[in-house]
Amino acid sequence: MTEILSRHRPLALLAGVIFAQVLLLAFQIKREHDVRLVRYWAVQLLTPVERVGTWSFSKVGGAWSGYVGLRDTRAENERLKREVEKLSMRNRELESKAAEAQRLATLLNFREAHPEAPMLAAQVIGASADPTSHTLFINRGERDHLRRNLAVITPDGVVGKIVEVFPSAAQVLLINDKDSGVGALFAETRTHGVVKGSGDPEPRMEYVENGEKVHAGEAVLTSGEDRIFPKDFPIGTVESAAPGNPFQVIHIQSAAHLDRLEEVLILLTQQELSPKKVEEVPGATPQHQPAQPPVATQKTSPSAAAAHTAPKKPRPAASPGPESNAPSGVPVPTPQPSPSVPPQ
Amino acid sequence: MSYMLNAGAHSKPNIEVHKFYGGSILLVAFLSLVIQAFLHKYGRWAELLDLPLLVTIYFGVSRRNPVTGMLLGASIGLLQDALGHDNPIGMYGIAKTCVGYLASSVGARIDTEHPISRFGLVFLLFHFHQAVLAITQRVLLNQPAPFFTLRLFLDSIVSAAVAVVLFALLDRLRKSS
Repeated sequence: MTEILSRHRPLALLAGVIFAQVLLLAFQIKREHDVRLVRYWAVQLLTPVERVGTWSFSKVGGAWSGYVGLRDTRAENERLKREVEKLSMRNRELESKAAEAQRLATLLNFREAHPEAPMLAAQVIGASADPTSHTLFINRGERDHLRRNLAVITPDGVVGKIVEVFPSAAQVLLINDKDSGVGALFAETRTHGVVKGSGDPEPRMEYVENGEKVHAGEAVLTSGEDRIFPKDFPIGTVESAAPGNPFQVIHIQSAAHLDRLEEVLILLTQQELSPKKVEEVPGATPQHQPAQPPVATQKTSPSAAAAHTAPKKPRPAASPGPESNAPSGVPVPTPQPSPSVPPQ
Repeated sequence: MSYMLNAGAHSKPNIEVHKFYGGSILLVAFLSLVIQAFLHKYGRWAELLDLPLLVTIYFGVSRRNPVTGMLLGASIGLLQDALGHDNPIGMYGIAKTCVGYLASSVGARIDTEHPISRFGLVFLLFHFHQAVLAITQRVLLNQPAPFFTLRLFLDSIVSAAVAVVLFALLDRLRKSS
């Protein structure tokens, strides 16, 4: 380089002098936006270099963070997956506990709202293995002083009754079982009938004459005539009603969620539950509130009487038989048999 | 022209480097600037002439040293810029630097003592000077500047004609060898 410069010294000097004068000009000349030319040139000269530098750094940084820095990502990913699974499981567990707490709170609230009726909470621990049989098992039995023909309910409505008692468990016959029968009446017309299972998921109300006016959505309550369930406790609502032979075919939407029961209450008395308003539990949304019986005079339809007196399939569990003896010390008043309605 | 080429091709070893009396170069350069500025007071016709350019060419071809011619041209050009009021300093400096360098280089290769060769050399260097000015103005100032017009052609003819007379006068400042 030095040799070339010394060989072409005049030319190099010319270049130097011209360059110096160009610089001199550049310091004086202003381009648009009042920017001196020398500054404009400096920016033009440096910007591409800076751009290339920035691009190079970003690429190198990207390569580092995208490849080299990902060495431990697989292990970290596995660890995070395990953690997510663990947390999901924990979340489901907590959700389940929260739902259980909500259900128990609803039960407790209902129980506290009816201090006059002794009741016992139980957990559903199993169901029948027979698909045609609608029964379930609860975790209460003889040790808890349970006996046959005790009513099983939820705050929403009637569930069924106890048909078998074991030392630490009991079997409950649901109201949609074909062997079940519950004395019932319509809340508005007070027309009596019998809610029975038909093998379908939902029960029917039978022995209602074709002349009776029944409309969908009408509340169906217990009549208390079976001496198992307290009077005027909700069973469900009319889903559909159609004329039949000789009685109407009425499908009932049960108030209690019979297909997803987890906790139930066992009524240790047939005493009528007072229409005390159940306190609202945060998050609890009971589908049915106990219907208030109208002031209208109760009338017993002949069909209801026929239902209770008709020689039907024996239903020993539907009535308190002679073997139903409450143990001493249990605050369960003995149901008073109604003279008008014989036990089933 | 063939005379010039022949002279350049065969007379290089015999070309004489002229020397001048002490201070005469600086004095003539200074006077050229003064006269150029003085003439401008008396009308636009003075723009036909560029005395500093002629002086740069003369001393460049006489000294036949590119470095000396270049530095002389740079000095005269920068002073000419400084005497102006609207041109940024360096416009004429760059142009006359190039002219001084080129004149010295040409003077070292061809004989420029003949009036015709002097006329032709000044004519060409005038347009070279204008070309450098136009390039500088276009590139640096971002302003339009012509490379060649009829007016420039006339200017170059006048300058070349004046140069023939001026160079003969300036020859008297040479030291006799």
